[in-house]
Amino acid sequence: MSHDHDSADGELLVILRHAPHGSSWLREGLDAALVAAAFGQRVSLLFMGEGVMALVDGQEAGPLGQKGTAPTLRMLEMYDIDALWVEREALAARGLDEAALMLAPRCLEAPGIVELIDAHDLVLTF
Amino acid sequence: MKLHILNRSPGVSRVHEQALAAMGPDDRLLLIEDGVQGALPGLAGAFAAIPGRLFALHEDLASRGLLARCDAAVQTVDADGFVALTEESEQTLSWY
Repeated sequence: MSHDHDSADGELLVILRHAPHGSSWLREGLDAALVAAAFGQRVSLLFMGEGVMALVDGQEAGPLGQKGTAPTLRMLEMYDIDALWVEREALAARGLDEAALMLAPRCLEAPGIVELIDAHDLVLTF
Repeated sequence: MKLHILNRSPGVSRVHEQALAAMGPDDRLLLIEDGVQGALPGLAGAFAAIPGRLFALHEDLASRGLLARCDAAVQTVDADGFVALTEESEQTLSWY
């Protein structure tokens, strides 16, 4: 199975808007993405707002041994989820740049978010 | 002196404004959980009104990969430091 990895279109777009560790939103969004990918859907991920924190390099387990989401992110490639987008404005607002991120997502300006959503049949926000 | 504890990021919530409005001139603010996102240089400006009285929990910064990315205005404390801050305070107030 092959598809155009540079294309913005896919069947499912999962928008991740929550930071790791603080709540289970991010984990649930990633779970939804992995399930869809396991069923053969072409999945794209958009890290938006506080969700950009999921991509920060150097995350660890929580103080009580909670696993966090970074190990799950590293598994995305195994599920052929390689369409990763990050909101540039959200990075800038936090004083972060692409060098701080793992997985080399592609940056998206605000108008690009509208196009990305338009290019997917189904959008789930977490 | 009171210790105010904030667990929401200024990137998504405005509850920090309530915490700051409730702080006396000697009170301290400790960022925990999602609140530690406020230690990032891009967001720490929200706490410019309390120089020298802004703290963030080491353990929560570490789990999020933020230990080396804190603004210079932020002092980090570990769990023992959290206890020490609590001991030094007449009262603690949580903002969430």
